[in-house]
Amino acid sequence: MFRLELLKLRKKTRSWLGPILVFWLIMLAYPLTVEFLQDKLEIGFFSVLWIAILISMMLATEDIFTEDFNDGSLEQTLIKNLSFSISIVTKIFTYWLLIGLPISILSFIFSLGTTEDFLLSISIFPLAIISSYIFLNLFVLGNALSLNKGSVLGALVTMPLALPVLIVLGKGLIAIQLNINFLSFIFLLLGSLSIIIVVIPVVVSYVIKAHLE
Amino acid sequence: MNNNSLIVAENIGYKINENKLFHRMSFNINRGEALHIKGSNGSGKSTLIRIILGITQPVKGVIENKSTKEICYLGHKNALKSYLTLEDNINLMQLNNNMMLNDYLEKLELKKYKDVTVSNLSFGQQKKLALLRVFLNNSDLIILDEPFVGLDDNAHLELTTFLNNELEKNKSVIFTSHIPCNINSKIIEIPQ
Repeated sequence: MFRLELLKLRKKTRSWLGPILVFWLIMLAYPLTVEFLQDKLEIGFFSVLWIAILISMMLATEDIFTEDFNDGSLEQTLIKNLSFSISIVTKIFTYWLLIGLPISILSFIFSLGTTEDFLLSISIFPLAIISSYIFLNLFVLGNALSLNKGSVLGALVTMPLALPVLIVLGKGLIAIQLNINFLSFIFLLLGSLSIIIVVIPVVVSYVIKAHLE
Repeated sequence: MNNNSLIVAENIGYKINENKLFHRMSFNINRGEALHIKGSNGSGKSTLIRIILGITQPVKGVIENKSTKEICYLGHKNALKSYLTLEDNINLMQLNNNMMLNDYLEKLELKKYKDVTVSNLSFGQQKKLALLRVFLNNSDLIILDEPFVGLDDNAHLELTTFLNNELEKNKSVIFTSHIPCNINSKIIEIPQ
C-alpha cells in the first residue's frame, strides 16, 4: 500500500514539490525582507521557521483526498477488506516522507546558515520532524472535513489545534538557547504525536465515509 | 433465504430529504445468478448499488452480504489516475502480476498504449482499462454500474462473454445498464 501511495505522489510533482518550494522561498525571503544586522537575524528566524513549516504542511494536504474522492479511488479503498484507517495512516506517512522530511532537512540547513550554530541547528531537526508530522495530521483532518469544498481554506478549520504545538516549539527553542534540558519538550511533542497519529486517521476515516455516503 | 444466497435484502428503503427513492425493496441473489437493476434516470439504481456495497446505509431495512471475498466493483467513476501511464494504473490496481493481464491487454487493444498517460486515452479506452479490474478479479461478487457505456462492439461482446462465463463459475453479478446486453439475469425495476 505504501509503495502504491508513493508511486501516486511521486508522479504528482506539483503536490510534493510545491509545498517544499513555498517553504524554501519563505526561508529565503526572510533575510531579504528584514533589515536586521546578520547577528540579529536569528531573533525572528525561528518564528518564521515554524510558521513556514505550518504553511507548507497546510499546502501539502490541499489535494490529499480530493483527487481520490473525485475519481472513485476512495470508494474502491472502502470496499476492500482492509482497514480504511490504515490506508489513511499510510497516505499521511507517504506525504510526510516526501514533503515533511525534506522540509525538516531544509530547516536544519537554513538554521545552520542563519545561526552558524551546529548544535542548535541539530536540535532543531527533531523538533521540525515531529512538528511537521503533527501539522500534517491536523491539516489532513481539516481537509477531510472540507472534502466537498475542495479548498485549502478548509484546512484552516484545524489551525487553532496547531497553536499549542507552536507554543511548545517556542518554549523548546528557548530551552535549547538557554542550554536547559529541551528533551522534555521533544517528549511532550512525541506524546502528542503518538496520540494524534492514532486518533486522527480513525476520525478522518469516519469523516470520509460520511462524505462518501 | 437459503445457503446458496450471497446477497439478501429485506424491505430496503432510501430517501433523500423527504423524497423517497425506493421503499420496501426485497431481493435475493444466489451464487451463479445475475441481477439486472433497471430504472429511469434518477430512480436510485446507483444508490441501491452503493447500499449493496455498504458505502451508503439504507434508511430502512437490512441487507446481508455473505461474500467472504472482496467485492469487485466498477461504478461511474473509473478510479484511474489521469496523470499516470496505463502501466502505472495497472500497478496501482495491483493487477501487474496477474497471469491473464497480457491476454486482456491484447483482447482490449490496449497493449500498445502501456506507456501512454491515461489523460491521453479516449473515454472508451479508459473504460476498457478500468474494466481490467473486472476481467482480472478474484471475487465471487461482481457489481457494475453502467458497464457498457463507451464500449465498442468488440469490448461489449468481450464483457458479455466474460460475465456469462463468470456466472457459470458460480460467481454472481449485479449490474445496471440502459444498453441491451445478452446476460441471463433476474430483473428488478425501481419505480420512478
